[in-house]
Amino acid sequence: MNKGIVSGIKRMEIHDGDGLRTTVFLKGCPLKCIWCHNPESISYEPEIGRFEEKCISCGSCVRTCDTNAFFIKDGIVLFDKGKCTACMQCEKICPVFAIVGYGKEYSVDSLVEELLTDKPFFGDKGGITFSGGECLTQTDFVVKCAKRLKEKGVGVYIDTCGYVKRDVFEKIMPYVDKFLYDLKAIDGDLHKRLTGRDNAAILDNMKFLSDKKCAIEIRFPLVKGYNDGETEKIGEFIKRLNIGIPVKVLRYHDFARSRYNALQRRDTLPEGQTTAKDVVDAEEILRNMGIIVIKDN
Amino acid sequence: MDTLQLKGYALTKIDFIGKDVLSSDCDIIVFLLDNCEITIDENSVFFGTVNTADIMQSVILARARKFFDKINEAGFKDGFDSLAYTGMADFSHTTTQWKDLLSLGIVGVRDRIAEYEQNATDPAKRRFYSEILRVWNASLRFLRRAEDIAANAGKNKMSNSLKHLVKRRPLTLYEAMQTIIVYYNLQMFFDGTFLRTLGRIDSLLYPFYKDEDKEVADSLLVSFLREVDKLKAIANIPFSIGGTDEAGLSLTNDLSIGLIDAYGKAGTHNTKFHILYSENMPDIILKKAFSEIRAGNNSIVFMNDSVIIRALLKIGEKYSDAVDYHVVGCYECGGNGELTCSCNGRINIPKALEVALGGGKDALTGKQIGLKNDGIFPTFEDLYTEFKRQLKCFVDCAAKCTDIFEKEYRNIHSAPILSATYQSAMDKGGDLYCDYTAVYNNSSINAVGLGTAVDSLVAIKKAVYDDKVLSLDELRRVLSENWVNDEVLRLTIKNKYPKWGNGIAEADKIGKRIVDDLSEMINGRKNEKGGVYRLGMFSIDWRWYLGEKTAASADGRKNGDTLSQNSGATFGAEKNSATAHFRSVASIDAEKTPNATIVDIDFHSSAVEGKNGLDALISSLKGYFKSGGFAVHYNVLNTEMLKKAYLSPEKYPDLQVRLCGWNVLFSSLTKREQEEFIMRSKKG
Repeated sequence: MNKGIVSGIKRMEIHDGDGLRTTVFLKGCPLKCIWCHNPESISYEPEIGRFEEKCISCGSCVRTCDTNAFFIKDGIVLFDKGKCTACMQCEKICPVFAIVGYGKEYSVDSLVEELLTDKPFFGDKGGITFSGGECLTQTDFVVKCAKRLKEKGVGVYIDTCGYVKRDVFEKIMPYVDKFLYDLKAIDGDLHKRLTGRDNAAILDNMKFLSDKKCAIEIRFPLVKGYNDGETEKIGEFIKRLNIGIPVKVLRYHDFARSRYNALQRRDTLPEGQTTAKDVVDAEEILRNMGIIVIKDN
Repeated sequence: MDTLQLKGYALTKIDFIGKDVLSSDCDIIVFLLDNCEITIDENSVFFGTVNTADIMQSVILARARKFFDKINEAGFKDGFDSLAYTGMADFSHTTTQWKDLLSLGIVGVRDRIAEYEQNATDPAKRRFYSEILRVWNASLRFLRRAEDIAANAGKNKMSNSLKHLVKRRPLTLYEAMQTIIVYYNLQMFFDGTFLRTLGRIDSLLYPFYKDEDKEVADSLLVSFLREVDKLKAIANIPFSIGGTDEAGLSLTNDLSIGLIDAYGKAGTHNTKFHILYSENMPDIILKKAFSEIRAGNNSIVFMNDSVIIRALLKIGEKYSDAVDYHVVGCYECGGNGELTCSCNGRINIPKALEVALGGGKDALTGKQIGLKNDGIFPTFEDLYTEFKRQLKCFVDCAAKCTDIFEKEYRNIHSAPILSATYQSAMDKGGDLYCDYTAVYNNSSINAVGLGTAVDSLVAIKKAVYDDKVLSLDELRRVLSENWVNDEVLRLTIKNKYPKWGNGIAEADKIGKRIVDDLSEMINGRKNEKGGVYRLGMFSIDWRWYLGEKTAASADGRKNGDTLSQNSGATFGAEKNSATAHFRSVASIDAEKTPNATIVDIDFHSSAVEGKNGLDALISSLKGYFKSGGFAVHYNVLNTEMLKKAYLSPEKYPDLQVRLCGWNVLFSSLTKREQEEFIMRSKKG
């Protein structure tokens, strides 16, 4: 497939791998993590997010929408997502940022060209990180882009949840400098409750990458009250992998709440807070088990 | 002379003196040196503070005033008042010849004048030498006075150093630093010529530093910077480190690093730090510099050595002089031997578009300040051509105004102290200003509001010519009504149209084109001093003043709002990260801007935190400079700033914060998210 659906591109990133990076968020994810902070990347289809509090009720969207997804009732502009075909005309015409389109189609050529614009800034360590969603679900597209970027001398990282078939990793491996690999829970039932999927394939794939001596950075998104009890089990799992694979504990936040609302997606975000201390405690447990812990800056 | 009173000195007395500018300036300076108040702060390690009641500044202003009348008489009043263009004298952006000064010492400079005087056969030259010799003899008397005051204050080390400096050149690090501070006082407060850099201080002080005990030397550096910080200055006291020699080798040394450390420890507010970057500069310098910036010590500007050198070569400076350039004031560069006049003329780029659309009239006052036209522009190219014609008109007016002052320098200001430090002035036997005796006697015109102009042109091209959203006449109506009846269109253009500072080709092409056109008009244009004009693309705080006099523009800006800052994006328009902002600005051919191109980049501390953040900052700088950037100023903002942004979001539209996995504009968050972010950032 030569086309990919991209939900966003962020430049000058420092938290998605080493050095200065451009992160590409590809749309669509097989997991449904309750704490997902990129809800716009869950669906595989392009979609509109409407930020009601930013709307100035100018009616531009109502006038431009061919399917009447936008309409006025009692002087207020309303949005019926069910009628929306994500043609993105309303995003273009909205004079403010009340309408945001997620899911732009790119060809391999156009995305690679776009990503190469920041090449002068990557330096020795930086490069491109493919993230999502689960970027590897758009397998052919990502493999082609990664191959082209490598040919151009740009380093490629893959941020993955690991829930794809083994052969996907086999295809992408030659073009990847590092995998940023999420590990959310070891307990299979818990994993299923929190993400909607069993984790057998995820753990199996990580073991495969480890055996193949791929560079991996494990990421443990810590959600207090949900998966903090998994810390030691995660440590035990990492100990069975290749020596020297580091882990980074990521702190849960609920900043994505406004985007759940904008996307008219059921808000599953946990209410409680995960504190800096919770992260430090988890890091301490892992460190005491002899595991390399790297700080999230 | 005894009729002169230090306090309450009457300006009219200049007219009674009945002498030329040089002689009367020498009279005044000698009087001030012998009579001014000298104070030594009890905590000071170095001498000291003088009170000259800003007499020389008043004298210069009084003399210059009548030339403003000439500008009015020449028909430039309305354009000048509307801040479409300005042009005047500039005695405020100089460097001295620091290398000579430190190798000769104050007394050595005086002795050199005496030697020239003895050997002079030309009566005019001889008179020049003997006049400035009076001043430099008085400088030694001033030093003796300072020595006594220091001794009476129980400052023996200070007193002894001053005693030595009356007799010989500086021999120790302390004496060299003392020489710099004494000279700064002499030039700033007696000569009245602003000294706007302490030079490449790592190279200058290294011969003294290397022989000093490291601990003593490092402590002295901190004391020196704190003392410099206390000196009265306009817009900071700059100094530089780095640069390259003629073979291209980096001039950084241990002292370059020592100075960054000292800058961090000194906690100064009134210094400005120019780092002259070259590809072979050790990374440790950049790491330390960015660490200071992240710690809030952010008056650091990075300058790109290779581009600056080529820019100076292009205006005809010798390679050896271009390599040894100085940076004065904010970011302006001049070659060795150049008497830098970096702020003579200004032109308001968006105002040129305003008058192009308005038949040459100022849209706010209705006065004819530009060239008349019929207002019919069938294509965008026709409009651009007219914009360029008005821009040329502004450039001509700014240069002519500058010329009115510059050909009369001999009737406005002399620099007996500064001139004595310039080898070329001594060889030619004349004052730097009155007789144009520098190696390069250039002038400068700075163009303000590039981002606003680019965004406005892009908006007109798209709305009027490409998409035909409205006609040019309709746009004229919209602008004349200050957008009040067209808010939706204004927001659409402001938020959704391509903007300078986002790495978008259609905007960047226009930005590059404007600078290319300005370069043709300005660089190399002959001035009245035997030199040339040089183009600068910076606005500093002028963007506010010029903005106040600029009518609503097609980019969605309203009457009187600020123009874009320096060479960068319109405030808040850069929504595509720092690297995209860099790409836009680097699309300018900065070798055509010898008087500087500069971009300001703001980050929240969370967006550039940790070791990886440091690596990213360094690679962003290298990438920008490799792409042809001229200079950059980074800001890393803190929680306090977030709180202010929360209360007044309109003042911080481009503040980026780290959310999780990406950076966002702080202003794009909901209030609740902003509150939470402030709370979290406080917990750190």
